[in-house]
Amino acid sequence: MLALEGLTKHFGGVQALQDLNLKVSKGSIMGLIGPNGSGKSTTVNLICGVFGITRGRILFDGEDISRVPTHLRLSQGIARTFQNIRLFGQLTVWQNLWVAQNAPEQKHGEPFLRRWFGGSRRAQAQVQGLLEFAGLAHKAQEQASNLSFGEQRRLELARALASQPKLLLLDEPAAGMNMEEINDLKQRVLALRAEGKTILLVEHVMELVMGVTDQIAVLDFGRKIAQGSPAEVQQNPQVREAYLGTQAR
Amino acid sequence: MVDFLQNIVDGVMVGSGYALLGLGFTLIFGVMRRLNLSYGPSVMVGIFVGTWFHLRGAGLLAVIAATLAGTVLANVYVDRLCFWAVRQRSAITAVVSSFVIWMQLEEAVILVFPDRTYPFPRLTALEPIELGPIFFRAEYVTMFACVALLLAGVWLLVYRTRFGLALRAVAQDPVAARYMGIPLDWIGLGVAVMAALIGGLAGLLIAGTDQLVIPKFGLWATYKGLIAMMLGGMGSIPGAVCGGLLLGVAEIQFVWYLGAQFRDLAAYFLLFTFLVLRPGGLLGQAIVRRELAAFRRI
Repeated sequence: MLALEGLTKHFGGVQALQDLNLKVSKGSIMGLIGPNGSGKSTTVNLICGVFGITRGRILFDGEDISRVPTHLRLSQGIARTFQNIRLFGQLTVWQNLWVAQNAPEQKHGEPFLRRWFGGSRRAQAQVQGLLEFAGLAHKAQEQASNLSFGEQRRLELARALASQPKLLLLDEPAAGMNMEEINDLKQRVLALRAEGKTILLVEHVMELVMGVTDQIAVLDFGRKIAQGSPAEVQQNPQVREAYLGTQAR
Repeated sequence: MVDFLQNIVDGVMVGSGYALLGLGFTLIFGVMRRLNLSYGPSVMVGIFVGTWFHLRGAGLLAVIAATLAGTVLANVYVDRLCFWAVRQRSAITAVVSSFVIWMQLEEAVILVFPDRTYPFPRLTALEPIELGPIFFRAEYVTMFACVALLLAGVWLLVYRTRFGLALRAVAQDPVAARYMGIPLDWIGLGVAVMAALIGGLAGLLIAGTDQLVIPKFGLWATYKGLIAMMLGGMGSIPGAVCGGLLLGVAEIQFVWYLGAQFRDLAAYFLLFTFLVLRPGGLLGQAIVRRELAAFRRI
């Protein structure tokens, strides 16, 4: 599904990411963890095409997408959420979901005027489905900035799903959440996997990562130091060292 | 009292032209976060294109079409050069380059039209309308009616269509909008065309009322539009309209009670008062606060 081959990114003299190889297979959930500044967010940003890559390739469905502009990666089937919530605060919940429906089949499958003025039944039904998924159906006409923190996180997740992506990049979706909200999120992520979505999950909250992922890759100083199932990674001495320092051994 | 009312009527009519210019500025600023100083000069290029056709005996419709087309072409040229090419770079670079393009446009027009002052056709040949003691100049009524129609159209486009929704999404968070598959370049182009059509109409109505065009029209239009936008609040659509109307009324009142030489002083007086008492403008508080915060970070 997604394959990163020798992915390298330098910012001036800083080596943010060094020779990263990573394969995410279809329908699985890959966790990406590591201490602060280890290159997790850089990886997500590179997959989304925020900045050019220094070396290496990004293959998606066997196709090299390293040079595809950001706004077109969505039509390839890649969508994301943000570490710090980036909703369109002055639009309503409904509009936030509707404006993100930009996949090619959603764009061209409908009569132009229909789409121009509010969308076909099918598009509206999709939005309605997302509202229910996010548990926000009763707040469809609420302005997004008026939602609570947890609701905003849920809306962001739903917005990323609006274009029906194949690959979902979740950048620290549990940041700032309490236990109850994390469990809630866990259920949603598992539900997404049941639907066959492929997910790359960047996260600090181990409760979530260990609970939902099939594979975990660990980054430290821009290099991958370990990969394996959650249990394997937990036992790995290098990972413990990266997180806790040498003393912990 | 009748004078005062008559001034308000005239002011609103004159101000509706300013409102259009302010609206164009505010669209560009609100969506792209860039100040396009070349906006007025592109309108000037448009009306000179119209004049070129007028001088060669073209009919009114052809002149109108040529003016709008000229403005759109000039403004797209500015957009591609100043805002597309340097979009990734700082806002200051884009503003400075738009100033350079302004000079270029003005010099180009002077090169083609060396006599400086040229005639422009009247849009309507109707008699003024009298309503009791108040006079309505036919040109002004036409202008006001066009502006009202156009405002309704812009409102529909921005608040009732998907294109408008994308515009507002970009205005609020261009980064997130890009990830949601909204192409910023096309949105920028759409905004440039929209602003140019609005400005072209303003140019037509104003030049048609004065029946003459000069290369300094570009400076004039930028200055009126900028002040209308700042009075109303940067990036606010209803604000720009209110700002334009307010500016028109203030100018006419100043001219009537103080003399014609005070006309431009009215604009500065208003601007000064607003900057001191209500720096966010009539309706733009939130946006300016965000810009200020951005400045402090620098």
